[in-house]
Amino acid sequence: MNKFSTLLQNKMKNRFLTFLFLISCCNLIAQNNGQITGDFSLNLQSYVEDAAINAAAADEVVLNNAFLNLTYSSNNFIIGLRYESYLNALLDYDSEFRGNGVPYRYAGYTIDGLEITAGNFYEQFGSGLIFRSYEEKGLGIDNAMDGIRLKYKIGKGISLKSFIGKSRTFFTYAEGIFRGIDAEIDINETFELENATKYILGGSFISRYEQRTNPKFIIPQNVAAYAGRLNILNGGWNYYGEFAYKINDPINSLQENQMNYASGSAFTNSLTYSQRGFGITAEIHRADNMLLLSERERTGKAYIMNYIPTLSKPHAYTLLAIYPCATQAMGELGVQLDIFYKIKKGTLLGGKYGTKLNFNFSRINGLEGGYSILNDNQNHTPALFDFSQELYYSDINIEINKKVNKNVRYNAVIANQTYNKDFLEGKTPGEYGVLNSTIAVLDLSYRIKKGHTIRFETQALFSKQLETASKEAEGDWLMVLAEYTISPNWFFAIQDMYNYGNENESKRLHYMNLNVGFLKGSTRFEIGYGKKREGIFCVGGVCKLVPSSNGLNLSITTSF
Amino acid sequence: MNRFFYIIIATIFISSCEVIEGPYMTGTIDPIDTTNNQYVKNILIEDFTGHTCKNCPDAARELDAIHDVYGSQIIGLAIHAGQTFARPYPIDPTGNPDEKFIYDFRTSWGEELDGFFQVSANGLPKGMINRIDYSSSGDHRKDWGEWANIVGDELSKDVLFGISIEINQTPLMLSDQFDIIINSEALSAMSGNYKLVVCLTENNITNWQKDGDIDDESYVHKHVLRSFLTPTFGEDLAAEEINNGDNFSNGYSPVISTLENNNINHSQNTLTLGNGNAGDWDLNNMYVLAYIYDESNNEILQVEEKSLLNK
Repeated sequence: MNKFSTLLQNKMKNRFLTFLFLISCCNLIAQNNGQITGDFSLNLQSYVEDAAINAAAADEVVLNNAFLNLTYSSNNFIIGLRYESYLNALLDYDSEFRGNGVPYRYAGYTIDGLEITAGNFYEQFGSGLIFRSYEEKGLGIDNAMDGIRLKYKIGKGISLKSFIGKSRTFFTYAEGIFRGIDAEIDINETFELENATKYILGGSFISRYEQRTNPKFIIPQNVAAYAGRLNILNGGWNYYGEFAYKINDPINSLQENQMNYASGSAFTNSLTYSQRGFGITAEIHRADNMLLLSERERTGKAYIMNYIPTLSKPHAYTLLAIYPCATQAMGELGVQLDIFYKIKKGTLLGGKYGTKLNFNFSRINGLEGGYSILNDNQNHTPALFDFSQELYYSDINIEINKKVNKNVRYNAVIANQTYNKDFLEGKTPGEYGVLNSTIAVLDLSYRIKKGHTIRFETQALFSKQLETASKEAEGDWLMVLAEYTISPNWFFAIQDMYNYGNENESKRLHYMNLNVGFLKGSTRFEIGYGKKREGIFCVGGVCKLVPSSNGLNLSITTSF
Repeated sequence: MNRFFYIIIATIFISSCEVIEGPYMTGTIDPIDTTNNQYVKNILIEDFTGHTCKNCPDAARELDAIHDVYGSQIIGLAIHAGQTFARPYPIDPTGNPDEKFIYDFRTSWGEELDGFFQVSANGLPKGMINRIDYSSSGDHRKDWGEWANIVGDELSKDVLFGISIEINQTPLMLSDQFDIIINSEALSAMSGNYKLVVCLTENNITNWQKDGDIDDESYVHKHVLRSFLTPTFGEDLAAEEINNGDNFSNGYSPVISTLENNNINHSQNTLTLGNGNAGDWDLNNMYVLAYIYDESNNEILQVEEKSLLNK
């Protein structure tokens, strides 16, 4: 019997349990005045070979990701499940997502302020520096926990949450058993202070157990991390600071130079001031040897259990996001400044409706000498602050958003980004080097008549390699997009990306896409055809490699 | 209720943290003394790799480190496979004057194993340790960091088969032809389908390899798969019922240059992006590797290797 027959048997068991679960749901609905909600998503894509863009055909011709969430709640009781189907998974997903199943199911109730969840749940402590269990479909990440979680409000302004569980990896669970606890206290509420300044303190602790043996080195089977955080709010001011620490967490190797007993640390600090029409945020963060995995030896996003928030601006426009910043939990130091200002309406620059301006600067570099290392032969701790180290990423950009009149509005962006392609994409130094790009975007929309809007996006990216590199650079890009929307039901879009500046003339290619969408209520259908460029796609500093593709795609989403 | 939470907090804090102070090395263990044991449990580590895979040398070094600890009980097999990291660069003296990565280490057998076990599709480096977990819900493709722990578990398993390899040359044979006899012995009564696989490996091939951030021209590739003498998934060792003490003998008479030419032709004409640069085999560094596996779950039960020239 091959592996997949065995897995199928397990899945049959799962389906039977799911069936029982659904019957129970129906009975509950019949007996109570509960509420059932849900949402559905289907993403289907055909793949044809296109040697010019290095796109591979799928043996199955068509690949499909789909899921259905169902939640039933009544009074203090809630149950839910998610059915997932990967037949087979889209090429930008890990191929371990294969087949059908119900990998997410839970039940919970609340009594006397105690909230109990049994089964799967998502959880995050603070900003996630030591623990974040979450789902991000766009990245193909789902590290949901399976276990028990308790949340409790001890008294005024004090809340606790605690859990024990294993984290999901595709259709199974990682070996590591996580135990965690998080406490948060609202000082003002607890001590009934009537200050204008509000203080919120938090602390969290996480521990992972894995049974491991090693004939040569001492292995900690229980690895812990903890974090403290402080949030101070006063009028328009908001300070948030969090510091995290992880104890020795070596891999289980027999090679001495691979054994790293150094502790890890991370901090993030942000200070914001905002008032009507103006906001400014300054941030700094640093991470050193702060990757926490659900299995210490494993590689891949599915095993990462903590999250270092990115410090770069999350761009939505295609060419602004072509070279995104991937956060380096093993070692980086970054700063960001973000200023928002709205020029008042009725002024020369503000016009009739006002003008919104946004300035953003971010810079991320490596740590001095790399991340911390400690074993019998090495002991290195990088300097706490050293901004002169290898540059990973920088971005300086200005965005102007203006409504010209009741029919015309535009958004314009100019940016200059520096992207260490070799480092951030794991290339050999000297292959592509560091890229510097200047990007300009003009997004113009015009309301033709009530319910009819046409939008044009024009984008240009001018790129150069800052040093000699052995591989040919992609160089300059142009992109145009036209989108026609007939509210509330239809939209039509055509888009072309043109890599006209590729150093390799045979790769000066067009990536054309056509899309049509239909919306009715909460249901959305979209069908498209075209080519996708191979590239890096990131959400919040967590990134994945998206392979090039050529084919038809269909997506359906709905909720009830 | 409050007391309940305080107990949870105290329990977690007290028991969930192991801070370790150096020295971290506990000392090396001596390899098992095999002088009085005719057969011991050997472990096959199939290291799926590629010469442009920058992290793959870490896996190869881990295999070496495991071998250093456990000695001859650990047998490696480096399988260069897949079109991403194992494919050779085109031979292009103008575009690639240093002739980096132009050698084709791939074989038809390696590609077939890679396709069946779906290894390189999940990223390299990955390895299989006696191919355990293929039929379980676990993953048979192990990251190199997992190998040491698994090897420790595998070594404690019962020895079900013994294998010894005889290699001879007779005067009438070609200079690169050998008589290879695989003698196997059942060390327990068993029922099932057991397969014998015999292949050739070559050690110490100096050629290009990406190693971290370095393109290393002098990298030494170890125990590289060269050829199979049996079909990829082996040949039947015996009928279903096996008694303790049953002996089996399987013979092969390969001509190495013929196998080498087959590989060159396969690289040139069949393998995707192949270039035919798959020769220069060195008999002095070649080994015969034989293993027996259980067809029901693909687990390798015993493995043995011997130098082709009896070195």
